[in-house]
Amino acid sequence: MADPKISIRNLYKIFGEDPQGALAHAKNGMHKAELLDEHRHVLGLRDINVDMKPGEITVIMGLSGSGKSTLIRHLNRLIDPTDGEVWVNGENIMDYSDAQLRKMRRKHMSMVFQKFALLPHRTVLENAATSMTVDGRPRSEWEPEARKWLDRVGLEGQGEQFPHQLSGGMQQRVGIARALTSNSDIMLMDEAFSALDPLIRTDMQDLLIELQRELQKTVVFITHDLDEALKLADHLVILKDGEVVQQGEPQHILMNPNDPYIVDFISDINRARVLRARTVMTETTQDPGGLSGAVEANATLEDIIARADGETGRSYRVTQEDRMIGVISMTDVVKALVPTDASEDGMRKAS
Amino acid sequence: MATYDWVFNSLGLRDWCDGDGSGGSAPMSMADLVGQSGGGAPETSLWDTPFPSMDSLNDACASFPQSREVTQGLERGFLDIKDALSYVLDPITQPLSWALANALWLFQETPWWIMIPALALIVLVVSRSWQLMAFVAGCFAALAFIDYYDYAMQTLAIIFVCAVICVLLGVPIGIAMSRSDKLQRIMIPVLDMLQTLPPFVYLIPLIFLFSVTEPKLYGIAIILYAIVPVIRLTNLGIRLVDKEVIEAADAFGMTKRQKLYGVQIPLALPNIMAGVNQTIMMSLAMVVIASLVSAPGLGVLVLRGIRNLELGVGLISGLGIVLLAVILDRSTKAALARVNAAQKT
Repeated sequence: MADPKISIRNLYKIFGEDPQGALAHAKNGMHKAELLDEHRHVLGLRDINVDMKPGEITVIMGLSGSGKSTLIRHLNRLIDPTDGEVWVNGENIMDYSDAQLRKMRRKHMSMVFQKFALLPHRTVLENAATSMTVDGRPRSEWEPEARKWLDRVGLEGQGEQFPHQLSGGMQQRVGIARALTSNSDIMLMDEAFSALDPLIRTDMQDLLIELQRELQKTVVFITHDLDEALKLADHLVILKDGEVVQQGEPQHILMNPNDPYIVDFISDINRARVLRARTVMTETTQDPGGLSGAVEANATLEDIIARADGETGRSYRVTQEDRMIGVISMTDVVKALVPTDASEDGMRKAS
Repeated sequence: MATYDWVFNSLGLRDWCDGDGSGGSAPMSMADLVGQSGGGAPETSLWDTPFPSMDSLNDACASFPQSREVTQGLERGFLDIKDALSYVLDPITQPLSWALANALWLFQETPWWIMIPALALIVLVVSRSWQLMAFVAGCFAALAFIDYYDYAMQTLAIIFVCAVICVLLGVPIGIAMSRSDKLQRIMIPVLDMLQTLPPFVYLIPLIFLFSVTEPKLYGIAIILYAIVPVIRLTNLGIRLVDKEVIEAADAFGMTKRQKLYGVQIPLALPNIMAGVNQTIMMSLAMVVIASLVSAPGLGVLVLRGIRNLELGVGLISGLGIVLLAVILDRSTKAALARVNAAQKT
C-alpha cells in the first residue's frame, strides 16, 4: 500500500477569542454544542485524522456547518489550525515559511471553488493560466499550456471571452482548467459542482471521472450531496459537527453504517444506482452452473436489474478483467435494495 | 455681588481671587462696561440664574479666566507653533504651488484652437462617445463665445491639479485603510471631520500659515476638502472585493503585491472611479469658496457678483461652473461605465 499523499493528524480548529484555552476543553472530550454553550467558542474541527492516498478521490461529505470547507482550507493553509499537523508529500506544511507555502500552492496544490472565483477582469485564457502567470512565466510558456487544458475541458475557442460571458457550467470548466494548468498532483475541490444545475452537474462529474482516469491526481472533493459523493469517492469521509463520523470505502459504508446519523443520511438514496455487483455478490471462483450470463464487478444493481429484465430468478457471474470473482443472484440484488436493519424507525428517532 | 461668590468663598479661594487686582490681564469686555455704567448689579432672581460659565465665574472671582481666553489661548498657541509649522510645511507643499502656477500658465497660454480640440479628444478617448465629445466642445465654445474662456480654463487648471493630487494621495491612503482595521478606526473620524467642517474654516489657519499670494493656499484647502471621497471609496471598494476571489488568489500562491495590483485594485476600480468623480465634483465646489483667498477662475466672478451685486455676472459665472461640473461628471461617469462593463461578474 502506497504512503498517503496527504495525511491529516489530530487536527483541531476552534474559532473564538481564546482558541488555545478552548482547545484544552475540546481535547478533554467536549463536543461542539457544549463548547458553544459553556465557553462561547465554535468548534470547527475536532481530532481529525484522515489519510489520502495518491491517485484517489477522497470525498469529504457533511451538511453545512459540519466543518468540511474549513477542513479543505487547512490542506493549503488558507486557514491555520489551532492544533495538529498536515503532512503533504512527507512534509509537515505547518513548518512551511510563506515562500514555501506559496511554492506549494503554485506547483503542488490547486483549488476549484464553489462560486468559481474567476478573475472577472481577465480573459478565460488568462484565468486558466493563473498559476503559471503568478509564477512569473512568460506568455509563450503559459499560453499553449492553458489552451491545452481549456480544450481538454471542452472550451475550445472560448479563450478570448471574459468569464461573465460564459454560463455557470462553462465558468466552472474554466475553474477546473485553471487547476489543471498548474500541473499540480493534488486538486482540492470545494463544493465545486454544488452551484450548478443538476444536469450540468452530472456532466461535470463525468468530466472529472474521465480526467481522473487519465491523470490520476490526488483529488480532495467536498460535497453535501451523498449521490455525488458515492459517484466520485474512492475514499469517503463523513463529517458531523466538526468530527469524523465514519470513513472508508463508500460501498462498505453503505452496507455497514456505524452511526444513526449516517443511516439517516443514506436512507434516502437510490441504492440500486450506487451499490455495485462486487459489494453484493457472493465471492467464489467456482461456477455453480445455471448462470444467465456475466456482469462487470463495477456494474450497479440498476444495470443488473435492467439486464435481467426484472426476472427475479436469475443469477449472474461477476467478472473483473474477464476473471470470475463471484456470483450474484437476483435475490441478493433485491435484498440489498432494502436499507440496512439499522435504519428502522427506532434508529431514526435515536438520531 | 455676583451669583457664584459663594463657590469661591466656601472653597476658601477668596484671597486668591482678590490677590492680583482686577481680573488679571484680560481687557474689559463690553458686558463689564455695561455693568459698570449701570451701577452695582441688582440681586438676580432664581429664574435668571446664569449657567456657571467661565464668564459668570469671572464675575464672582476676578482671577478666574474669561471664556474668550480659550479662543485667545488657541490662537496664541497656533501662532506659537506657526513658524515651526510653516518651516516644515512650506517646503513640502512647495511643489503644489509650482504645479498650480504651471498648470494655470499652461491652460491659459495654450491657444484656444489647440485647447478645445485637445479637451474634446481626451473626452473621446476616455468615454468613447462622440455625442459627449460634441457636447463638451459645444460647452467650451459657448463659454469662449461670451468671453468666459480664460476664467473657465483657470478653474479647470486648478481642478486638474488638485484632483490628480487627491488621487495620488487618496488611493494609497484608502489601500492602507482597507488593510488595517485600526487605521480605519482612526481615519474615519478624521474623514468625517474634514467632510463636515464648514469649508470656510479650512481657510483661516491656512491664511496664517501661508502667504495669500501663494497658489498652494487654496490648493491645500481644495485638496483637504475633496480628498475624502476617494479615500473612503478606495477603502470600501477594496474591502468589498469578493472574498472567494481573494481566497482563490491566495490558493494559487499570489504574493501580497500580486494580489493588490492583479486582483484588488482592478476589482475595486469601479468604486475608486466613483470616488474620483465625487472628488472632482467637490473640488469644483471648493474652488468657488477658495476664490476668497485669491484662487483665480469663475469663482472670482461669482464673488464679484456678490460683492458688487452684479446679477448678470454672478448668474452667468454660476452657470459656467454648472457647465464645467456637467462636463467633468459626464466624462468621468462615462469612463466609470466602461470599467463597469468590462468586469461585470
